[in-house]
Amino acid sequence: MIYILRVALREFAENVKTKGFWIGILIVPILITASVWVGNLLERTKPTRHFVLVDPAGHFAGPVDEALVRIDARAVLQELGTYLRQHVEPGKLLQLLPDSGASPFESGEEALGRFTGEDDVALDWFVKAGGAETVLAALQVVLDPEAPPFVAPRPAFRRVELPSGVDPNLEPEALAQALKPYLRGEGKIEVDGAPAELFSAILVPADALTNIPSGPASAAAPIQYWSTNLADDDLSNEVERSINEELHRRAFEEYSVSADEVRRIQRFEAPFTELDPKKEAGEEQVGLADKIRQWAPVGFVYFLWLAVFMNAQMLLNNMIEEKSNRLVEVLLSSVTPSELMLGKLLGIAAVGVTVIASWVVYLLLFLEYKAEAEWAFELLRVLKSTGLVPMFVVYFALGYLLYAGVFLTIGSVCNTLKEAQNLMMPIMVIMMVPLVTMEFIPKDPNGTVARVLSWIPIYTPFVMMNRAAADPPLVDRAGTLVLLVATTVLVLAMCGRIFRVGVLRTGQPPKLVELLRWVRNST
Amino acid sequence: MHVLELERVTKLFGDFRAVDELDFSVGEGTITGFLGPNGAGKTTTIRMILGILKPTSGRISVFGAPSAMEVRERIGYLPEEKGLYKKMKCWAILAYFASLKGMDRRSAKRRAFELLERYGLKDFAEKRTEALSKGMGQKVQVLSAIAHDPDLAILDEPFSGLDPVNQQVLEEVIRDLAARGKTVLFSTHVMQHAERLCDRILLLARGGKLFDGTVPEALASIPRRVRIETDDDLRPLRALRDVVAIEPWQKDGDAAARGAFELELAEQADPQVILRTCFETGIRLRRFDHADPTLHEVFVKLVGHEAREASFR
Repeated sequence: MIYILRVALREFAENVKTKGFWIGILIVPILITASVWVGNLLERTKPTRHFVLVDPAGHFAGPVDEALVRIDARAVLQELGTYLRQHVEPGKLLQLLPDSGASPFESGEEALGRFTGEDDVALDWFVKAGGAETVLAALQVVLDPEAPPFVAPRPAFRRVELPSGVDPNLEPEALAQALKPYLRGEGKIEVDGAPAELFSAILVPADALTNIPSGPASAAAPIQYWSTNLADDDLSNEVERSINEELHRRAFEEYSVSADEVRRIQRFEAPFTELDPKKEAGEEQVGLADKIRQWAPVGFVYFLWLAVFMNAQMLLNNMIEEKSNRLVEVLLSSVTPSELMLGKLLGIAAVGVTVIASWVVYLLLFLEYKAEAEWAFELLRVLKSTGLVPMFVVYFALGYLLYAGVFLTIGSVCNTLKEAQNLMMPIMVIMMVPLVTMEFIPKDPNGTVARVLSWIPIYTPFVMMNRAAADPPLVDRAGTLVLLVATTVLVLAMCGRIFRVGVLRTGQPPKLVELLRWVRNST
Repeated sequence: MHVLELERVTKLFGDFRAVDELDFSVGEGTITGFLGPNGAGKTTTIRMILGILKPTSGRISVFGAPSAMEVRERIGYLPEEKGLYKKMKCWAILAYFASLKGMDRRSAKRRAFELLERYGLKDFAEKRTEALSKGMGQKVQVLSAIAHDPDLAILDEPFSGLDPVNQQVLEEVIRDLAARGKTVLFSTHVMQHAERLCDRILLLARGGKLFDGTVPEALASIPRRVRIETDDDLRPLRALRDVVAIEPWQKDGDAAARGAFELELAEQADPQVILRTCFETGIRLRRFDHADPTLHEVFVKLVGHEAREASFR
């Protein structure tokens, strides 16, 4: 036993010094941080997009401008919500909010939630109240004196005039021709005296409304949206929506229907609640926490996969080093092959556990830090209150041992990394399955595919983890676990036999038949 | 007291007899040279002694135990093909191997620094082994094999790859061990080392034992020779009882030099008799060369044929 520990200790101590280990430790924090901050950063640094709208009949410029004002106001309101959450006590908020008629809010906390959400009533209130400046001025007395000044986000879009020299009365085709150099970035437009890029051009045909009220014919000339950047479709969506709204408004007028009434009616929402019969009486309502509980296992499956294969791979490389350096012979004069194998399994497992523990600690710290956001708070609660973490530990241990046994065996019969890679190919393909099924198993967690995969030991850790939220039947949970343990023991025993023969072997890797013979008569 | 005993040990790889009914024993505190051409079964025998390979049949006993694993802390082993963990520091490797042989970690570390200092590697103690030259690396390996101060050191080709100075250092290491009552078994192709160091030599060919005895016994196993060069008649020499045969002498396969002869002497014969006879009968010598046979000659004579065959197999 002491020798197993000593081998394990060396494996641990040496691997901890490698670059790979530190990359492993840092990769998840970097991924988590990057996915949150980079998204924010991109959003923040996105330049204001300039566009021209050519609408000879003059029907749509007004509605589009109005829509853009609302988009900008929404962005400002959301940012303001986050800012106020950090620098004002919600309890003191409500009385001080400027009143534009009746206040639509019941409490400060609720108001902030609606600021940061997509709430039309809150937005209407905000626009009417006079925007960020008025709100901040009213809240000045309760604002944290240390708070930095509020910085409103830059407007996302801005409608500009046609470049000088382009005639607005041209036919759409000729107009498009004239604007192409600007859209392609070959020419600059002038905005506030400074040169700027033209992001897009929207050309509305003069007869765009002639077919109302029977509805625009599909054969009518379309409204053209020109832009080299078709990936960022925020503007085109917004323009299309506001033009259609204007179209509807006019149609309502045509039919003598009050557009304001319609808009009011359109905001009606039947209260809708999702309920889960498995939950305790009175608490069946499904909230964000339940959604998170449903989907958190998917994240765990991904981490599990990453952890298992990162470690198994480390083990393989390490074995190959000893084989190709002929170190294995010295080792075998000191320890038995089983001691060597177990020592390695244990040592690398310790490395893996260290890496994963660092991930978990980081994740928890990150969530604590972000706990003001509802999703982070709920996720944290789910992690602390459910069995996900212990399950992860158990399935990591078993999955790791199972795959590590196989990888170590491959390492023991190969002399170079290249030989090992050839043998690894089929295993890699088999290994991809849990990643592919990861997304759809939660949608039918107790369905046939999920159950069948659960009973295949090499997939059990991943698929059972994947199904965790759905409370799989006991027979599945216990049965697959027993089968997995049995398979792991069996595989390790078989690998031990191959390892004993393979580890001293030089030359060509053995054929499968040969491996089977080694397993049968282990001398 | 025998440290190591092999009885009718045989190892088959498929149909190939790597080792065939081998018997020998090694006494405590002796230095034994394990000689033989390539493919003679030396490494296989060593691996069986260490318990890395199991013999097909026969019995091996190490310090009275049937398996070397039971007494592993008393054995040190340097394999023929040598390697080190590239990223480990020299002292750490020595300490690791010593700890795998049962030493506690603190004494293993102390012992590692001691050894490195004693054998001139003090400045490399904190270096990673990938920074060492091949010869230096090999020295570290030799030291790692004896880091736990074993009672029996088994060294497979310890001299290969070392420069003459370090070969001497290694000889010193081996003598130090023996001087402290430790037993050493080493294999080599270089007969000079065996001749200088060994109390006993064991010559293997084709998996079997060809010779087993002390170095003087080995040297006595081939006739002693005198080489002369002369243009005169050799009849008076042929008449001597001490001279068994006279052959034209070919030096290292060159065409026989004119007037060069090799005289094979009878056992116990005194070469001075030849010299005196030459004076008395007026044989004028351009050269008179009398040297005791070397182990090299013994080796070539005993296994030259096998070795050449093996190299073309």
